[in-house]
Amino acid sequence: MTALSHEQVSARLKQLPSLPSAVSELLASFSNEEVDVEQIARLIGRDQGLTARVLRVANSSFYGLQCKVGTINEAVVVLGFRAVRSMVMAVGMNGAFRVDHCPGFDTQAYFRHGVGVGLAARTLAPLTAQNPELAFTGGLLHDIGQLVLASNFSTQYAVALAYRKKHDCPLVVAERDVLGLDHAEVGGLLAEAWRFPDSLHQAVSEHHAPAAALANSLANVVHLADSFAHVLGLAGFTDELMMPIDRTAWERLGLDGVKCRKALAEIERCFEETCQVLTN
Amino acid sequence: MKTIQHLALEALQPGMKVAEAVLDKSGNVLVPAGAEITDSMLTGLGRREVAGVKVEVEVAEDPVATEARRIATTASLDRIFRQAGDTQEARTLYQAVLDYRLESCQ
Repeated sequence: MTALSHEQVSARLKQLPSLPSAVSELLASFSNEEVDVEQIARLIGRDQGLTARVLRVANSSFYGLQCKVGTINEAVVVLGFRAVRSMVMAVGMNGAFRVDHCPGFDTQAYFRHGVGVGLAARTLAPLTAQNPELAFTGGLLHDIGQLVLASNFSTQYAVALAYRKKHDCPLVVAERDVLGLDHAEVGGLLAEAWRFPDSLHQAVSEHHAPAAALANSLANVVHLADSFAHVLGLAGFTDELMMPIDRTAWERLGLDGVKCRKALAEIERCFEETCQVLTN
Repeated sequence: MKTIQHLALEALQPGMKVAEAVLDKSGNVLVPAGAEITDSMLTGLGRREVAGVKVEVEVAEDPVATEARRIATTASLDRIFRQAGDTQEARTLYQAVLDYRLESCQ
């Protein structure tokens, strides 16, 4: 049997190792008006790996800073707390899962696609007055349900991936047919378990059905960002497949040919470098 | 049309546009994408033993090559869009990527 139930997935999510403390503090800060920025900067600073990666992103052409920042505090001053928060979350969460053996799951392609969607979401965010940094995080994490499945239910997930390949169907269709649930639902369960803020929760759980989300939901931005990353072939999949675009999300962003063309160039401009600074 | 070429330091000319950020061994940006090459930049890169830089170069393209590129780009987009449906949104995005791919560098 390859079918999975929500209960099975939720039970496994409870056994996950806890997030780095800096990441969970930052998650909590979304619902806390009185954030102690200095305390959070200290927490991040204690995690050397996290600090090194965050500083590398801060100093990359992603932000185009004139001078370099050398500490988390400086990064907060120069880039702002929200930008640093998004970066730490993005860097910290994808590192929480390890996919050892899941035939058919290409970790590198997963990551490259996530970066592509993150950059696309950051570019498209201003069209619906969304915070670009939050949109980047939402894009980077939107498929995190896939990572949960590939790392925790690798045998069943490998069957779903083989089914997708055989039928050349969208991944969500293969997942629903084989497992009985899809990566957006699983991502939603993780978002609950880890208490994501609502905006990120929606980006993860509703990116394949944005019409049901609110007009100002990040799910609209991430849904379209997903299409943009697919059409540019950023993941490097040989059988890249774009699903139909949701008209409601398209209209909510007010997209047209000129805006699309401009966004495509912007996404590719930063892509390779962002992949490099986030993975090394 | 513009192409991206990886040129050795000696072949770079001031005024050329950097196509891809130049990084040092630790991944720090030495020169961001889009910057214009200057004499002092070339000296600095030489000091850091950077071997070459990807720059945008303007070249005349022959019509046969242009057509071949259009056919290859269309074929690859048709494949990606094979299940996208025939909607106004899909057509708009398709056309935008096609224009972008044909206008921009290789």
